[in-house]
Amino acid sequence: MSQTLMVLWILSAVPILFEQKIMKMILYLGAYSLITSIVFLIFGAPDVALAEASISIFSTIFFIICFEKYYDLKDTYIKIKWHKFILPACFTIFLAALFFWFAPTATPSTYSMELYINNFMNEVGGTNAVTAIYLGYRLYDTVFEALMLLITAIAISHLSWHKEKTTLEKHRYIKISKQAADIVNIITPILPIFGIYLITYGHLSPGGGFQGGVVLAAFFVCRYMIRSINDLPVVLLERFEKLIFSSIVLLAVFLVFLGIPEYIAMDAPPIFKSVYLVTMNMLIGLKVALGFVMLFYRFITIERV
Amino acid sequence: MTFAQTVAILMFFLAFFGLITSRNIVKSIVCLVIKETSAIVFFLGLRFREGILPPIGESLSQPLEYIADPLPQALMITAIIIGLAVTAVDIIMLIYLTHETGSTDWDEVKAKTKARVASLDYE
Repeated sequence: MSQTLMVLWILSAVPILFEQKIMKMILYLGAYSLITSIVFLIFGAPDVALAEASISIFSTIFFIICFEKYYDLKDTYIKIKWHKFILPACFTIFLAALFFWFAPTATPSTYSMELYINNFMNEVGGTNAVTAIYLGYRLYDTVFEALMLLITAIAISHLSWHKEKTTLEKHRYIKISKQAADIVNIITPILPIFGIYLITYGHLSPGGGFQGGVVLAAFFVCRYMIRSINDLPVVLLERFEKLIFSSIVLLAVFLVFLGIPEYIAMDAPPIFKSVYLVTMNMLIGLKVALGFVMLFYRFITIERV
Repeated sequence: MTFAQTVAILMFFLAFFGLITSRNIVKSIVCLVIKETSAIVFFLGLRFREGILPPIGESLSQPLEYIADPLPQALMITAIIIGLAVTAVDIIMLIYLTHETGSTDWDEVKAKTKARVASLDYE
């Protein structure tokens, strides 16, 4: 079963590489991301599958906005010169052979896995080991990841502003067909409930701050798709995102890096640990949602173009 | 290496082949996305076996060899989010480049940018 799925996965990427129409290539990329998230599910990683499924919406939609709003690239063809494929193919096969020749053959150690799985319920709390790792043992990664997202959002918003920091009033709306609008209309009210569920139950079941935040941001994308509303104050969103990021850092410093939970962790009832996990997940979810909403609203109104 | 990891490496080099042969900027960005995803599959495929359980909830009471490793999963979630951020920056750079040169072909963009730089005055 899993081997069939892996073969299907690698076959789904082949049409992307040899497709000549750009728009079709982007749609194939969306299908590829869907199959990838199923592969993650088979690997026993529902958190990663949720993240990939919700993220692939955004990467597809950014490409489509880029082609629909700014340039008419739907009819652009990629020229493929078959005779120029021979040398790169030889080089790639050489590199792959080199990799497989030097690939490590030893089985990976289970030391860290035993450590995490046997201790995380007492030390961090919750029943989801993945959340316990990214909010407890490896909080540095999460903090710097949030910082990276903030820097990207700031960079994109400042690249797309021209002189005065206002949104354009006369921008082309993306037209979608009536059938697609009806389907999006059905999905839209479910999205915020699903996002809030993912955030608040992230420490007990698959989900968490990142996935729930992206789903919440997808709600605003759907809202724009149906009604073409462009009324969110982007400057305020950016300021608010910075504020939430600094509160994440403060919470991380005071609760984890100074070692305070080690005093309460062992004897405290599970509710206290859940409070920390839920608060952190909510802050991260809000921050990711704000960041992606801001990215989307900057993408639909780029003023320099 | 498990079967899943072998397939992930093959996919990585397939995307690498697409990247070095692509004549179009959009295709290059798409190939970068595929490369990133295959690296994630490689790390998640560590210790993979048929019917493996997620490290969540009741399945934690099973013996360790039936549970997936939570550490790569926690790291790969952040890698996916960063991947989207990188893609967004790529696309916004593509929008500017195409706005300046009117093309998404690497050769045309290179030639037009060179001509534009040569015509600029640095005084």
